[in-house]
Amino acid sequence: MDSSIASYVLQYSGYLIEGGLLLYLAWTKQWKKQRGIIFYLTALLVAELGRAYAGCEYGLSSRQYFYVYWCTDFPLVLSTFLLVWLFFRRACCQEERMWRYIRLVLALAVLLVAGISAATLSSNQHSLFSFFTVEFNQNLYFTCLVLNTLLYILLQQIQSTDEQLGLLVCGVGVQFAGPAAALALDHLTGGEQFAQSLVPSIMRLCTLGMLLVWGYAITHVKASKVVSRNPVLAEIHVD
Amino acid sequence: MLVAVLILILSTALFFFYFQVTCQRILGRQFDREYFQSIANANRLEFPSLRKSLEEFDAPLDYSRLRMMLKCDFLALTYLLKNAANVNQRYSHEERLLILYFRWQFLSLALRRLLRLRENKAILKLTAVLQYFANVVGERVNAVKFGNLTAADYLLNL
Repeated sequence: MDSSIASYVLQYSGYLIEGGLLLYLAWTKQWKKQRGIIFYLTALLVAELGRAYAGCEYGLSSRQYFYVYWCTDFPLVLSTFLLVWLFFRRACCQEERMWRYIRLVLALAVLLVAGISAATLSSNQHSLFSFFTVEFNQNLYFTCLVLNTLLYILLQQIQSTDEQLGLLVCGVGVQFAGPAAALALDHLTGGEQFAQSLVPSIMRLCTLGMLLVWGYAITHVKASKVVSRNPVLAEIHVD
Repeated sequence: MLVAVLILILSTALFFFYFQVTCQRILGRQFDREYFQSIANANRLEFPSLRKSLEEFDAPLDYSRLRMMLKCDFLALTYLLKNAANVNQRYSHEERLLILYFRWQFLSLALRRLLRLRENKAILKLTAVLQYFANVVGERVNAVKFGNLTAADYLLNL
């Protein structure tokens, strides 16, 4: 009883914070500056509400819930990748040459993940949809975690002054690292009940952690000033 | 199986890395003034002198006294965070995170002691958290106007 109450508290706290952040960004007119965050939060909220509805309507162990879960997970994982892409773009806003190389690497990364996931289909043709979706989603989540870490290292290397971006990247890292570890543990233990019960709790806690870090970054930390390299143009302020 | 083990180890390590980095970034926040000294003086906290002795003199420390000192300063500052010029009488989210970080570093200090590793880095991280808490308290108290009372006078009357 206590664990289900805690689970509901985590779940609904997440919805409230996501909705609150979206409203705050709309109220402060940050649509253009924080488009990655807005896009990801919207995708996350829609996916979570869809899953909650399917869970209540059909039950968590129903086939319908399974399809709703993995069908919403697919656009969610793609929006995660897009978020990492937009963070890289923001980090390289003054380094166009670097951005051209990074853009190529990111495109190759997603093609590689799709290729590796498709290559394993030969041994699982009887469950094409479920296997490919699950395999591709989990591979891309882990890839986003690695890319996010590379982005953090890049921010340190170029000595980025964008403190807000640094915190946003840390939030994404917390969001991905915990569930990746929990899923790997679940896979290693062969679906043991303990590990299986741990996965949703860790996912919700890490999502909540990310939302709180993002909330702090967006409300308390200003984005850096962007100064044009062309001396003729006026200084552009981003706050 | 090997891939799953690698992912588990790497993801767990990255999780703790991101947790540490997030806390370090919050601690890196710049205050308009150094409020912590007046708070430390008003409450006879010892972390500023501890930090100074480690940074400037690298002086050897009595471990049990050090732990007691840090723990007492932590309890005092967490009380002040909740009760001094705090309308909500609650910790903010970043304060809760830093309290968790402090406890984790405190445990790390004990482990370093056990494994006979250098403890100075962990002690400096702990004092950084305490300094941040003191700065937050000082900033809040400074924002509250009590006639001719200074921040230190206000805290002594708590």
